[in-house]
Amino acid sequence: MKKMLLLCVLLCFSLLCFAAYQAPERKTPGSVLSSYRYVQPLSAESYQKCMSSGTEKNKSVGFGSSSSTSSSSPMDEELCSCMYWMGTNRAGVPLVEYASQGARIILFPAIVAGFLACLFAIAGGLLRCINVPFVDSLTQVFAEIVGALPRMVVIVICALLLPRDARGLMPLAILWAFLSAPTAMDEAGAVTVRLGGARFVEALRAHGFGLFRIYLYHIVALNLRPVVVRQGAEVMMQVVFLEVALSYLAIVAESGSLTHSDDVRSWAELLHMGYAAVVVNEPSMHALLIGLALIALIVVMATSLSTMARAR
Amino acid sequence: MFAALLLPVLVPAIITMFIWALPGDPASIICPIETCGEEQNRLLAKELHIDEGMVSFFSHWLSQASTGDFGRSNFYGLEVLSFQEGKEDLLSESIPNTSLLLIFSLIIVSIGSLFGAMNIPSKKWDPVVVMIGITPIIVLALISGAFVEITYPGSEFADPKNWMKLVMGALTLGFADAAFSGTLLGVRETFSREKNQRYVGVSILRGETVFSNTFPNVANALVGQYRARILHILSGSVIVEVVVGISGVGDLLLMGTLKQDFSVVLAAAFIFAIFSALLLFFQALIECLIALHIRRAPSNVQFVDPSLEAA
Repeated sequence: MKKMLLLCVLLCFSLLCFAAYQAPERKTPGSVLSSYRYVQPLSAESYQKCMSSGTEKNKSVGFGSSSSTSSSSPMDEELCSCMYWMGTNRAGVPLVEYASQGARIILFPAIVAGFLACLFAIAGGLLRCINVPFVDSLTQVFAEIVGALPRMVVIVICALLLPRDARGLMPLAILWAFLSAPTAMDEAGAVTVRLGGARFVEALRAHGFGLFRIYLYHIVALNLRPVVVRQGAEVMMQVVFLEVALSYLAIVAESGSLTHSDDVRSWAELLHMGYAAVVVNEPSMHALLIGLALIALIVVMATSLSTMARAR
Repeated sequence: MFAALLLPVLVPAIITMFIWALPGDPASIICPIETCGEEQNRLLAKELHIDEGMVSFFSHWLSQASTGDFGRSNFYGLEVLSFQEGKEDLLSESIPNTSLLLIFSLIIVSIGSLFGAMNIPSKKWDPVVVMIGITPIIVLALISGAFVEITYPGSEFADPKNWMKLVMGALTLGFADAAFSGTLLGVRETFSREKNQRYVGVSILRGETVFSNTFPNVANALVGQYRARILHILSGSVIVEVVVGISGVGDLLLMGTLKQDFSVVLAAAFIFAIFSALLLFFQALIECLIALHIRRAPSNVQFVDPSLEAA
């Protein structure tokens, strides 16, 4: 079972990495044209045919924020959409590009936030073992104040206060990890208290174990592992959802995104296209399915990771 | 209690400190020159005491806010809050909408608590409950928004549509991000752990009910969980209000953020902080009442003097 879950996690993660690796660094006309090659299963001749087919009137519509350069817009939407394995939007931009650029936006910040959440959980667990009342009080005050703030409100305000050139998902992901710290520390602290806290450490020292082995192996690896991994996986998943939510809100408000630059596409745009398919019958149901599948991928990865690390 | 007193002051104070820490003139951060113009910007700096420094600005803002005067929105061109009759403002409509959204979604969470306490459904249904809770809020909000748009197409100001938005928004907040399932599983876990205590077995032998014995002891944990859920719902309301189209405080906060409207952002953040502080205050109050209840000697217990018993 654990091997299956590990395989599942590795598969999801490698899919994400692969997608993120494929995304172009900067979207210049040259990079767009070159990156189109890898999602173009048909010959260059068909590509030319797609671009030059149809009538001028088909060219116009895009989805609000959809990018595209008018020079590479297709004339026949259906033909062009068939050329790419995930299809295209109405401006002819392949949806695989949305998926890969979205993966690039979230991948690194989500991993960093997850790692930070793990560190907070480990710190919370270990602090309960050292039995210093002053540190306990400080942790409690920190947890009470940080835990009393509605996270989304703090994130939105922080996004506003960041200078425009410093805006991105990374600072928000770090802040999210910081805001999740009280829960992680509390849960890990409860585990070590159940274990015996300082008395557990004393007992192991009496058995002749070194501090390094006691703290890192017996406490963290053997006992805190399920909590630490679960908290990390959850925060990682939440950061992805945060990005999708903030990008979607920016699209709805017709404003620049708070998590990425305007020349990069987020998974939220797939959901926005899909929403149009449901509400106003736009032919973009495939975008909704891809968006939901990507979100499901993240959920499966986080759940598998948590289940894998669960204590026997 | 300490955090409850601190929060409403701390949140705007941190925002103010950030404004002054950012590079550039605070007046043009609060109202960019492109939006306000140079003359208006200078007047604003004088009116809000920005030119007198951070402390002066903050103390002036706090004293005004304590009387309900949050200033004027640069983007909407309206008072943020006005007590004058007939005068349009931003918060008068937003606060009731957010409160209704919160109350409706709390009904769902309370049902989850009740089910948890009654041990319904049984543990074999746990995977289904968890699956319900794992859905991200943005996905459920989209489904709710689409449902409202399909049911009431085009009728922007119709009353039924607004009520439908509130109900669907509340359902989203109630079920998304493990609000319902987390409450159900959390309460059930808390009760089942307490039921295994020895005193519960003794109380059953004495002919008392399990609930009356366990509830006072788990009430503190439950109140803490409930407060965390309310905060979680409040946090999610920012997303739901924008996606479903409810004009609430969260919607105002996001629009204020995207349009760099600091008066609105400060006011919305202050309201959220006050609400959070009230939650902390009520939690502390309930904890005190529970402690008093537990320490109160039961009236129906007869004291038997050991010397008399020996005699």
